[in-house]
Amino acid sequence: MSNDYDPRLQSLFAKAQEALDRDAFTRAIVERIDRQRRRAMLAWSVFALVGVMVLALLAHPVFTALAMATELLPVSLVDIETGWLRQLLSPINSVAAATALGALGIHRLVRRLLG
Amino acid sequence: MRYSADLLAKSPEPVLVGLARTGNRDAFAEIVRRRQTWIRNLMRRCCRDATLADDLSQQVFMQAWRTIRQLHDAERFAPWLKRMAINTWLQHKRRGDPLRNADEHGENDSAARPANDVALDLDRALSMLADDVRLCIVLAYNEGMTHAEIAEFTGFPLGTIKSHIRRGSQRLQKELAAYMEQRGTAT
Repeated sequence: MSNDYDPRLQSLFAKAQEALDRDAFTRAIVERIDRQRRRAMLAWSVFALVGVMVLALLAHPVFTALAMATELLPVSLVDIETGWLRQLLSPINSVAAATALGALGIHRLVRRLLG
Repeated sequence: MRYSADLLAKSPEPVLVGLARTGNRDAFAEIVRRRQTWIRNLMRRCCRDATLADDLSQQVFMQAWRTIRQLHDAERFAPWLKRMAINTWLQHKRRGDPLRNADEHGENDSAARPANDVALDLDRALSMLADDVRLCIVLAYNEGMTHAEIAEFTGFPLGTIKSHIRRGSQRLQKELAAYMEQRGTAT
């Protein structure tokens, strides 16, 4: 493509190029980068601190819930008196098995609806 | 890892870009040292006010620092930076922020005046052009870009660019007639 630019203007633009103080400008950029890094570090520190505090506050209720779940999960759904049958069906005759089946069902349903 | 200033000063730009992409601040500072005159002069031609031009140039380099990981080809750093500078200028004009009218204020601010008389007269003549015309003229004459390249960088239609450059050149020739004659008689 031909671009018929005026050579006199080209020469004027070339003459207008100024040598500028590069050290001061570079220093200003480096200071801004350092400031940005410090700010990011401060933000992450605050985030981590808040995270630790939330964990500390929630630790007790979370452990209580886990302990309750541990007690509840092996409970049989149907009371079977025959010893060998109770043992045979124990993998599926429990709150844990029902929960797992429920979770699997929900997972499949969600996949069917969204997939 | 820290490298000596001497070593960085001798390193080719793609190497510095590679280091800057890993978060090396000193390598990026060396890139700024090498490229700042170019970007600052480009911004000065666009906005006439040296203080505003330096502020926008800082924005360009800070954006470059934040996004340098997205630059996959280190050899393409210069056009990538130029595109960023043009976008920064276009965004500044679109935003219409308080510094937008700095062109008028800059005239009375001695600190913001270019030291070079040619630059002063050229910037005064450029400030008489409409924003888009000025940008096309600066990219054509200051950056030596073709019409097609300007179209690609700015998103303006090719026909508009041709017309902007033709009208802008005529206006500059008129405003800078003294320089045009000097050169005419000198050659």
